[in-house]
Amino acid sequence: MITINGTLKFRLALWLLIAVGGLGVFLLIEAYTSAQRAADRAFDSQLEAAQLTIAEAIQWQDGQPVVEIPAAAFQILATNQQERVFYAVIDAAGQEVTGNLKGFVQPAWRKKAKQHPVWLTIPQDDVAIRLHGRELDSAGWESQEPVQIWVGHTLSGRQALASQLFERSLTRFLLMVLLASLLMLLAIKSALRPIRRLRHLLRRRDADDIRPLHAQVPAELFDLAETLNSLFARQRESRDALLRLTADASHQLKTPLAGLQSTSELALQSTNPQEWYQALETVHESAARTSRLANQLLSLARLRHASAQTLESLDLGTTLRDCVMEWAERDIAQHHDLGLAPLPSTPVRIKAEPWAIREMIGNLIDNALRHTPRGSEITLGLDRGTDEVALFIEDNGPGVSEAMLDRLHHPFERAGRQDTLGSGLGLAIVDSIARRHEGVLRVQRSTTSGLRVSVSLSLSGLNEK
Amino acid sequence: MIRFRLHTLFLLSGLLLPCIALAQTPLVIEAALDRQVVAPLLEAFTRSHPEIELDYRDRSTLEVDRQAQRAPAPDVVISSAMPWQMARVNDGLAQPLESKQARDWPAWAKWRDEVFGFTFEPIVTVYRLELARHMLPPTTHAALYRLLVTQKRLLQGRITTYSPTRSGVGYTLFQQDARYSPRFWDLVAAMGAADVELEDSTQDMLDGLSDGKYWIGYNLLGSYALRWVQTHPELIVQVPKDYALVMMRMAFIHRDAPHPEAAKTFLNFLLGSEGQRILAGRTPLFSILADVMGPYTAQRLRDQVGERLYPIPIDASLLAFVDAQRRDAFLARWNREIRILEP
Repeated sequence: MITINGTLKFRLALWLLIAVGGLGVFLLIEAYTSAQRAADRAFDSQLEAAQLTIAEAIQWQDGQPVVEIPAAAFQILATNQQERVFYAVIDAAGQEVTGNLKGFVQPAWRKKAKQHPVWLTIPQDDVAIRLHGRELDSAGWESQEPVQIWVGHTLSGRQALASQLFERSLTRFLLMVLLASLLMLLAIKSALRPIRRLRHLLRRRDADDIRPLHAQVPAELFDLAETLNSLFARQRESRDALLRLTADASHQLKTPLAGLQSTSELALQSTNPQEWYQALETVHESAARTSRLANQLLSLARLRHASAQTLESLDLGTTLRDCVMEWAERDIAQHHDLGLAPLPSTPVRIKAEPWAIREMIGNLIDNALRHTPRGSEITLGLDRGTDEVALFIEDNGPGVSEAMLDRLHHPFERAGRQDTLGSGLGLAIVDSIARRHEGVLRVQRSTTSGLRVSVSLSLSGLNEK
Repeated sequence: MIRFRLHTLFLLSGLLLPCIALAQTPLVIEAALDRQVVAPLLEAFTRSHPEIELDYRDRSTLEVDRQAQRAPAPDVVISSAMPWQMARVNDGLAQPLESKQARDWPAWAKWRDEVFGFTFEPIVTVYRLELARHMLPPTTHAALYRLLVTQKRLLQGRITTYSPTRSGVGYTLFQQDARYSPRFWDLVAAMGAADVELEDSTQDMLDGLSDGKYWIGYNLLGSYALRWVQTHPELIVQVPKDYALVMMRMAFIHRDAPHPEAAKTFLNFLLGSEGQRILAGRTPLFSILADVMGPYTAQRLRDQVGERLYPIPIDASLLAFVDAQRRDAFLARWNREIRILEP
């Protein structure tokens, strides 16, 4: 049964989504931090410019730094975002010469600023401010003490710029995703086209058209096409086999029926009751043979075309012993020495259909009985391996030629002999049953020049060692 | 500085009394804006918002600045001392106003959406009519300087202006003057040589002019002067023809305002079309909005005196004026220059 397990489009889209999502998170994080960096750089340079402007205005007078803060410095500090501005000019003693930071600059920061320009982002009240401090050496008439200039402003401009930059990246990214999705959709469509073509090809075929496919497929679909072709080939084979079987069966049935017709015609022309009786006997015998032939055909057909039934666990040893016992009592076996090789002491469990196994054993015995001369020894037994068991039957009859061995399991094959009483279907049935149980039928010469037929079946997990 | 005027207060409290009876939410306004001048606006506000009890405290600019930094905080702070207002906003004492009125307010007259310049008051020279009998009245800064140099004897002790130390508005105006031309210091020196009298407020100068004590007043608030001369025909208001400074009163809602909703209501009224219409029609404070009609609008003033109006910009550069060292340096120079021509 075919169940729909999602769609390829959905799967491809899902993977695209995962790829874009993962990549997107990374890209957006990157975009966010770089937007922040860019905004910081832009606004930090404003702080630097303002500080330079203030530094320009510092002069020494009466041993004191005097600075007439240029109004432009505040405008640079405030930027066009109208930030709140902070500034302080601090002398060497740590006193705020002028400014509005009112002791906000910590001694530790001042110490750091002596070494190198300092950049700080610190919370003040409920907003954060960016602070920049730098020490300046300036010359005067009385003293040459260093002066520190600290400038700062609030962060709304940076945040606005950063979010503006980020929004731009986000827009670009979303556009890219949209474009990628469209392309992916086209790609999916074109990638799935060969599958669609194959489907059309299959759909257009007639029900009984089992010729190999001729199609152009991408490498990924080659296996599928190949498998389809081999499936068609097998179908072809099995149909041929069926046709052959039907033809053979008709032929096989026609011969005894023709015999019956000629026998009964001859008897009808005679007036001798003795001849009638003889003819009736012949008719009876021939009818029995034909009936058995029909039965075997039926069972072969059933085996080949019936669907698998539920498998049961059964002990092959017991089944074999029962069958042999049953057959040994039949009339047909009275002139043969039918025997059983020693069986394994523990049960040999396999999963099988009991009726099929019994049918198989019966056919093997029947086959052996019919194709060996009177007085032949026929031995059945089990060869137990690690995970499979071989059921074998051996005889010391005349055997068959090497060339025949491979063809013996074909229907109506009688080892080149038309004289025996068999129908030629026995081994074909055995072969079918073996296949049905995923077993293997082997036909070999036996050690005593006769024939050895074995069926290997896999053991079920229930076997105790 | 605008002095507290007791009789005005009584007059107005009488007017407002019926409303106070109904009032529920108080609203404290610390303002350096003459109550008498702004009364029509306050009345209109009380009429349209009877649920708000207006507590309008008219003080000097320095006192307003002190109140703004003290607890309990007022709701609204209004002052003409632009640098100090800017400094308080920069200190984070203001809260932003988010409203249509605030958004629509011209960008050049607001900062951070926290402080709004809501008037447009030209800075003028006022002289007595009798001055014209002796000399050609000055129409420019240069003409005033020439008069002071040439008519030194006649003008001795008869010129007045703001004190830069005692008045925040005066200090701001002189700073701005000095920014425009270094010749301002020549004018200061000439005024010093003419024994200039330094007053605390425009009203004091107007009083002195009306009394005949002064002949020329320099850097007076045009809003007060224009209103004064309507009843004092002996005085002439001259908007300088070279350049005229324009001062804007700045208002902000205090960060710690105890009644922020009422404060927002007041500011929205002040910045809205109704408040600006009253400002333009019934006060001499001049509305800056271009679409407001009335005798007192920035547009009409521009039409009358041309494009030589220079508003003191509302931006961070104002902070330079309150920088302690810069102020000290400026005042030091002022004191040096004003005495430089003394014999």
